[in-house]
Amino acid sequence: MKRLIPLFALCIALPAAAQTPQLILDSLVAKAGPASVARGEQLYRAKSKAGKTADSCVACHTDNPKAVGQHVKTFKGIDPLAPVAQKDRFTDPAKVEKWFKRNCQEVLDRPCTPQEKADFTAYMISVK
Amino acid sequence: MNGYGITWKHLASLVLAVGAAALVIERAPAGDEAVFPMPAGKTYVNECGGCHTAFAPGLLPARSWRKMMAELANHFGEDASLDEPQHLAILKDLETLAADGAQANMRMRRISAAIPANAAPQRIIETAYFKFMHDEVPRHIWQRKKIGTPGNCVACHIRANEGRYGEREVRIPQ
Repeated sequence: MKRLIPLFALCIALPAAAQTPQLILDSLVAKAGPASVARGEQLYRAKSKAGKTADSCVACHTDNPKAVGQHVKTFKGIDPLAPVAQKDRFTDPAKVEKWFKRNCQEVLDRPCTPQEKADFTAYMISVK
Repeated sequence: MNGYGITWKHLASLVLAVGAAALVIERAPAGDEAVFPMPAGKTYVNECGGCHTAFAPGLLPARSWRKMMAELANHFGEDASLDEPQHLAILKDLETLAADGAQANMRMRRISAAIPANAAPQRIIETAYFKFMHDEVPRHIWQRKKIGTPGNCVACHIRANEGRYGEREVRIPQ
């Protein structure tokens, strides 16, 4: 029986690891404050002078978060960002943090603030 | 059927035999097919393949990959640093499956043999093997919007992320 305990724990932990976009937004809001869809969209479309390869999110992800994007340098296709168009988006907190880290650094040359992450996520969820 | 003693039965078995042979030939993996071993699991495709094709490790020698992994903080101008566990796992896979690895197949050995021992190329597209294999591709094809650069393997080699670069699996986008 004792040996089965980790197995039970795993059964509970595995479903817990996969989250919904709303749960991910909630945990970002808990660190920041109320999220603003409008500010999120502004961030998505803003041009940055700090960008080395890409000067904005839209440079790779296109004007339309429901569209397939393309990396400006490698030309690799990128799945849509909006969960409405790509259902595994914003369901893995580690993946969300990884790409905020990579892409904020790339476009803004600094990490994004918790508020920016919350706003951005709220905007992506709002896209219908 | 005629004066040679050929019957419909003969013809039918001929058609069947040719058809069966064609099916076998079509499905059999050709010995010269360009297939490279890939790291097991999803880490390599998720981490490296997030921004570009998950290039087969067998396209470069181990010394190239060691240099690349040591310089990830400035990876072709971008900070592609990885967390320690992923970094170590990926480096190990790259070394094991590199063009000059112990289990390298004939194709990988050819790739490795064409690279000078004192060079550690960082761009696959600059290796002699890549240039030789793609010398018939005109510039305007590379410039198509869905391809963009010769480094975008997966644009035409649709199963490149599985290590499959065989000619029969090439689909050049318009």
